[in-house]
Amino acid sequence: MTRYIVVRLLDAIPTVLLVLTLVFVAMRILPGDPAVAALGDFATPEQREAFREKMGLNAPLWQQYLTFVVSSLTLDFGVSMMNGRDVLGLIAYNLPYTIELTIASVLLGVVIGVPFGVWAATNPNRAPDSAMRGFSLIGYAVPDFYLGALLLIVFSLNLGWFPINGGGEGFLDRMHHVFLPALTLAFIKAAFLGRLTRTALLEVMGRDYIRTARAKGAREPRVIYRHGLRNALLPLTTGLGLTTLTALSGSVAIELVFNRPGLGKLLISAIAERDYAVIQGGIVVFALFVVAINLAMDLVYVLVDPRIRVS
Amino acid sequence: MTLTRRAFVGRSGAVLAAFGLSSSFAGRAIAQGSDTLRIALSARGFRTLDPARSIQGADEWAIIHMFDTLVDIPLGRFPESVDEVQPSLAESWTVSEDSRTWTFKLRPDVQFHKGYGPLTSEDVKFSFDRLLNPEELGVRSALYENLESVTADAPDTVTLQLKLPDPLFIMGTLLHHSASIISKKAYDEKGSEAFERDPIGTGPYQLESVAEDPSQGVLLTANPDYWGEAPVIPNLQTMYIADTTARTLALMSGDIHMMEGVRAPGWVPSIQSQSPGLHFDVASPGSFFTISFSLATPPFDDQRVRQAIAYLIDRGQIAEAMAPFGQRTWGMNPPSFPGGFTAETIPEEIRYERNVEKAKELLAEAGHPDGFSFKAYTSQREDYSSIMLMIQQLLREGGVEMELELRDHTAFHADQATGTNTVYQRSAAYPPVPTQAISEQLAATSEVKPDSSGGPNFSRYGVVIPGIDEMLAATMAEPDLEKRLELVRDMEVKILTDLPLLPIVTNGYMMVRAAEVDLGYEVESGYAHWRLTKASFAS
Repeated sequence: MTRYIVVRLLDAIPTVLLVLTLVFVAMRILPGDPAVAALGDFATPEQREAFREKMGLNAPLWQQYLTFVVSSLTLDFGVSMMNGRDVLGLIAYNLPYTIELTIASVLLGVVIGVPFGVWAATNPNRAPDSAMRGFSLIGYAVPDFYLGALLLIVFSLNLGWFPINGGGEGFLDRMHHVFLPALTLAFIKAAFLGRLTRTALLEVMGRDYIRTARAKGAREPRVIYRHGLRNALLPLTTGLGLTTLTALSGSVAIELVFNRPGLGKLLISAIAERDYAVIQGGIVVFALFVVAINLAMDLVYVLVDPRIRVS
Repeated sequence: MTLTRRAFVGRSGAVLAAFGLSSSFAGRAIAQGSDTLRIALSARGFRTLDPARSIQGADEWAIIHMFDTLVDIPLGRFPESVDEVQPSLAESWTVSEDSRTWTFKLRPDVQFHKGYGPLTSEDVKFSFDRLLNPEELGVRSALYENLESVTADAPDTVTLQLKLPDPLFIMGTLLHHSASIISKKAYDEKGSEAFERDPIGTGPYQLESVAEDPSQGVLLTANPDYWGEAPVIPNLQTMYIADTTARTLALMSGDIHMMEGVRAPGWVPSIQSQSPGLHFDVASPGSFFTISFSLATPPFDDQRVRQAIAYLIDRGQIAEAMAPFGQRTWGMNPPSFPGGFTAETIPEEIRYERNVEKAKELLAEAGHPDGFSFKAYTSQREDYSSIMLMIQQLLREGGVEMELELRDHTAFHADQATGTNTVYQRSAAYPPVPTQAISEQLAATSEVKPDSSGGPNFSRYGVVIPGIDEMLAATMAEPDLEKRLELVRDMEVKILTDLPLLPIVTNGYMMVRAAEVDLGYEVESGYAHWRLTKASFAS
């Protein structure tokens, strides 16, 4: 297993280097001068020049690139061009909020989506199946930021059950703050996972071993969950990986709507202000996060399907 | 470590259970203490609390409560004359006949926050010297170009010497937040970087904390040694919520007491219909929205075309659409500024009331009897895009088709700064100094340059065609206020005749206030921030 993890990590190196290069190039072709964004309209040309010099923006591009790659690999992202704060510190503060939102939304998505999919698959072409189809359609069609605003109005503004903004402090308070944003993202995840569960389960329910289980007198729940769902887990695991990645990217809009701290909100702010240091640091961490999730999914495959062996 | 399937499922279940427990934690976790006034501003987070370095309006709400300036505006409005300027850290002042030497007598027994000692003339000198020091990365030094030197004559007396006469010096530069007086001792002790996050001033509030989470922002507490009237509400929290929906919901839920409004048509009636008790405080004139024509680009090189466009744009209608924050303006200086033209004083030939027939005649004379089309770009920001879309519609009625492209706000400014637009737009706030907007947007020295090193004279007035540079120099050298204002009006007439630029509207800065918050005074005009020391919660 250790050798497998090492091999998969080595596989990720070209991906990370490619991401670093793309981020660097994208930053340089993005219109907008960081010196103007940081110092404003009233700064003199000399002050802007001094700012560029201080931030290393006057160095040749190849030199800036090398400095960026080396510092990124050592997780030294420098300081924010806007407020002089350590970028790694900013990421360290915001990342846990994004991670907790991602985990909470995926868990909620699984809890809602998988049973719904099982219910639909065990009642094909009947009311539960139609409900599943309707739910999926709405889940795919409603934008997350719109749904988030609706949930905020109903549950926070009108009913007062959840806080309107912020990330909370302490475990219970943070969970209280994350529930509504997570539910927003989970709604879309549940639509996807429910549909996937239904399709995967319908496919295995027609197999011989299901018929055998029934012939042996196994009760229906045992047939569904023990023999059916377990064998439908592989496509579901793939779906879970994809849904985790989309939860990560979906957190950008949700963090803005719910005004909670997070890596997505940090990145959006940095892009608007052309804060190269924060953008670069944030995207590198995002990319590492994606690589880590892919790796985790590969490991989960091994756990859920004993036929898959590490070669 | 080996992770079995059973362990995997078991641990997943434990996490799910923990989450389920947390979701049962219902009820509002919102502290609605009556000892803290919470305001939410449209920004992504804190940048700096150093008054000399701040360029973000949201930070300035905290800054103006932590620092005092030598002189102050009357509560809720810009002074209409120098006589209305209020004493603050300076209890009195005198000015020389040539309006170049200003001497201030400091108020006795003013203490800096947190035991940093009494205010002296050395602190005042240090504060201004820092603004003049090219080694410091002070971003407001352009505002202090006319300041020659600062002398601490005695512990309680300080003299500011100007290069050129400025009879409005105390109404302009000195009222700006960057002219706040800081503690020399604290700055020397903490260093410039630490001072940005932990500043020491003499204001009615002092810094308590800066939260990591931008949505919690900056917390201030009342300064127990304040020389003036103590704030009614002991704590003030300035929070940063960039998203309009999140900010609005926070206000409507009672999570915050005041929020920065949105300057877009229809926003005020919409929020008013949901919460009729809300108060809308608008500081006029706010930002001056102007359009500049590229004088080197046909057909805008023809004065008749520029005048035709001026006749097609119904500026009164635009101001009405932007109400309550939008206001009609006639010249570069709004009616409330010294020297500004009003509806009564604007000469008829440069009034440019909407007249489609006249516009068509001018276009025909200029060789465009069927109108013409051109491309321009604007910003996605609400105020820019709303106004430009209205202008697009108004021009269409005269046969002028403006193909408008929307760009990201930062990219828009970056592109304009290289001189690539046809009809440029600018929304900028100015102090009540009648030469400032003219000098910044129309002096030849502010000409826009392709490498973006120039200024916001986008039309290149004074470079492509003769401009107002000589008139401006004469105005800046005039020590007598009335004569200076007459020269300003002469410049305005020339500008509005040549039309390198057309003032469209002024958009006041708006804050929305919860019904239960009494500000203690009316806001009429001023910068995009005002003091909340008299604010109280209605019982």
